[in-house]
Amino acid sequence: MLPLLTMVLRALVLLCCCTSAAAWAAQPFGVDLEGRPVDRLAPPGSRAVVLFFAASDCPISNRYIPEIERLDREFASNGVHFWWVYPNPSDTAEVVRHHQQQFVIHGGVVLDDEQHLVAMAHVTITPEVAVFVPERSGLREVYRGRVDDRYLSLGQERPSAQKHDLEDALRALTSNRPVPSPGGPPVGCSIVPRSDP
Amino acid sequence: MRILLPAAAALAACTLMNFAVSSRAIRAAETPVTWSRQIAPVVYRNCAVCHHPGGAGPFSLLSYADARRRAPQILDATQSRYMPPWLPAPGYGDFSGERRLSDDDLALIRKWVESGMPEGDPAEAPLPPHYDQTWEMGKPDLILSIEHPWTLPASGTDVFRNFVLPYPLAQTHFIRAMEILPGTPQVVHHANVLIDRTASYRRDHPNHWRDGVPGMELELDGGNTFDPDSHFLFWKPDTPLLVEPSEMPWKLDPGNDLILNMHLKPSGKPETINAQVGLYFADNPPSKNPMLLQLEDDKDLDIPAGARNFVVSDQLNLPVDVEVLGIYPHAHYLGRELDGWAILPDGQKKWLIRIPSWDIDRQSVYRYRKPVFLPRGSVLHMHYVYDNSDQNIHNPNSPPVRVRAGNRSVDEMAHLWIQVLPVNVPKGSPDPRLLLEQAWMEHRVREQPGDWIAQYNLASAEAGLGHYDKATAVYQVILQEHPDDARALNSLGAALENAGDPKGADQAFHQAIATRTGNCDARFNLASLQLKQNQFAEAEHQFRALLENCSGDAAAHDGLGIALAGEGDAASAESQFKAALALDPQNFTAHYQLGEIAIAAGQPAKAVDLLSVAAKEQPADIDTRERLAMAFAQSGLPADALAQLREAERIAPDNPDLHALLAQLLAGTARLTEAIDEQNQALRLRPQDPDGWNNLGVLEARIGKPDSARADFQHALQLAPDDAQARANLARLPPH
Repeated sequence: MLPLLTMVLRALVLLCCCTSAAAWAAQPFGVDLEGRPVDRLAPPGSRAVVLFFAASDCPISNRYIPEIERLDREFASNGVHFWWVYPNPSDTAEVVRHHQQQFVIHGGVVLDDEQHLVAMAHVTITPEVAVFVPERSGLREVYRGRVDDRYLSLGQERPSAQKHDLEDALRALTSNRPVPSPGGPPVGCSIVPRSDP
Repeated sequence: MRILLPAAAALAACTLMNFAVSSRAIRAAETPVTWSRQIAPVVYRNCAVCHHPGGAGPFSLLSYADARRRAPQILDATQSRYMPPWLPAPGYGDFSGERRLSDDDLALIRKWVESGMPEGDPAEAPLPPHYDQTWEMGKPDLILSIEHPWTLPASGTDVFRNFVLPYPLAQTHFIRAMEILPGTPQVVHHANVLIDRTASYRRDHPNHWRDGVPGMELELDGGNTFDPDSHFLFWKPDTPLLVEPSEMPWKLDPGNDLILNMHLKPSGKPETINAQVGLYFADNPPSKNPMLLQLEDDKDLDIPAGARNFVVSDQLNLPVDVEVLGIYPHAHYLGRELDGWAILPDGQKKWLIRIPSWDIDRQSVYRYRKPVFLPRGSVLHMHYVYDNSDQNIHNPNSPPVRVRAGNRSVDEMAHLWIQVLPVNVPKGSPDPRLLLEQAWMEHRVREQPGDWIAQYNLASAEAGLGHYDKATAVYQVILQEHPDDARALNSLGAALENAGDPKGADQAFHQAIATRTGNCDARFNLASLQLKQNQFAEAEHQFRALLENCSGDAAAHDGLGIALAGEGDAASAESQFKAALALDPQNFTAHYQLGEIAIAAGQPAKAVDLLSVAAKEQPADIDTRERLAMAFAQSGLPADALAQLREAERIAPDNPDLHALLAQLLAGTARLTEAIDEQNQALRLRPQDPDGWNNLGVLEARIGKPDSARADFQHALQLAPDDAQARANLARLPPH
């Protein structure tokens, strides 16, 4: 059986067609607010990594901040590590720092300055979540999609969520049960491609 | 296996991208769609009003770079018709400010994104619109602010909250425009401004109104004066400024409150709500008076859990010709289809609005591009369909539960508000808004006989129309159910007084006073009734008691002054009128009465000053003009006196007293022919007036027409054989 890492590399090459074939694992995942490379997403001993793809100017993404904070608090003791990933070009370190202060966001930040994490997680929307499990050979994605079912599509919004997809996935994961897939697509703002001016 | 799936998906993506590139090349060669030529005009016209820096939209779309970055989202949001927000179906009402994108616009956007978002020639692009961060019309004449800024929680369901903004001025103003600066426009979905004429909401929430009171809907006490709601004062992010037609400003009186009823959406962080309302004053009162009518069927809202097509409806017959100016459909989360139309007398159906897919988050007032004429006899219809199943994603209850009418967001409502302007009002007919109110309330009472607010409003409308017997009957119905209702008793007293039953009125006012200590309205009415019956001492007693309980009432000081003057105590009366002026510097009655006192005291110049103010306050008051003319005449200014009487004559051409007074004044300045002409006009209007014939005789004699004068004196004596003056004048005439 081929190592998992090799398969992921193939996927990346196919997706981007034109990007260099350098292995993403060898590159940093992005940079932190001080511009330092983020080389490791899963701290030693962590059981899962949650990437919450956020945009400072997306109202739906912002409305999920308290919910992500809640889940972060709730699952921290279970070895679940949350990252706030900002993929949009306009979310510079300065903008994100201000955003973090405004919304009183705790937890680590990754500026996805090359959108490696977008490619790795195959996300297209903010807010969208990807959950990875660290394995010997790398990170394995076990969940990707919406946080809950409050938004069914643009303009189709429930007064409050009825199905908490991400929470259910984390609960399953931390109790060693099969991780359910989200019940619907993520809804929010398209991630802005990096190649644009 | 999980790894293979994305790889396969990525392959598919590459293929699609290649396909997109080749098809794009063909289309682009046909008709290039560029930002500069086609897209910027669409975006500036429809999107920029919210999507500009500091606007309600989450990001700006004022530049090509902005739009290019957001292109995928623009495509999603427009093609799904999520943006721009617009609920009404096309073809069911022609609304101004319509934000629905045409199919052609949607096709252009699609083509532009598919062809790679070309900019085109920047020189071709229109200039981006400019938006001020503050007041659009410059500094308002008055700014009202939420007293205690309130913090919206970071998360949770939507919040509906009512903030009270007291109107702080001591003068009435007419408002030509209003702008709301919500503070944080991104969290304010919409806001309704209601005018609380009696500060009732503040009174009902004495401990909380400063911090805002939760609630989706609110009920206000409109008071005793017929002053129906007339305007939609509705704010939403794309229409921050409401400018009324120049003939239709709305009114704010001292003691009124504005209630800011806000729908707020948590943003993810705590937000400070510190909205400001800016008001711009008009120079003149309205010359056209619109009115808001409501169709509703809350009583039938009892929606079983799971019901998918629950229908309620209402209708209202229009007693007068109207123009429909605007419409505001309203339901909560279960509403699905909201329709309104009119059936004209000839059977034709005229759609007013159709909302096929209701969304409370996008509710709005819709104003017609051109007023919609509906002739008298048209019937307004409301037809709403509700979905209380789990298929309705807006359903706040999971699983669904039985839902009834109420003002919480989990309750329901079925309201259709319509702004109408009565037109083609025949001369001399009553205020058409009273006829609308009468028709509306009669309908409500028929639908719900126990609706005592409707009963009360109906009685008030009947009283306003001069149907005092009908009004009395309805008040008595209310009092059977609510025997201690002070307002109904007080209104009954007023109706009885107007119906010519002062005894009954006196009794009703006394009963009203007994129900609640310090019922100022009833005491005022009782005292005023006593004044009219020259019961000055009793009136003085009531006015004094009133002022003990309700100080600061200028009209009560006026009343007390009139009572004291009636009792012969001019000095005390004068001090009461001055007290009224201290409270209300423009007070008409005080100026008038002080003018009278000055005339009586032989100070005509002072009287001229006082009565001139009174005439300015109530330009159409004939008595004031007469008294002012007298003061001018006594001041040796007959030309000014004449001008006042001529103005009064213009206002009331059929008032015989005015013609008689003019005759006297003209005679005093030796303009005898004109005087005779005026006296003849007076007598044409009041032929049975012996004094008038006598006066005409005197004038005829003075111009040397003894025969005519003789006939006049004889006419006077026929009417009043004991008229000593006429007899003496007749005797003074030279013999035939």
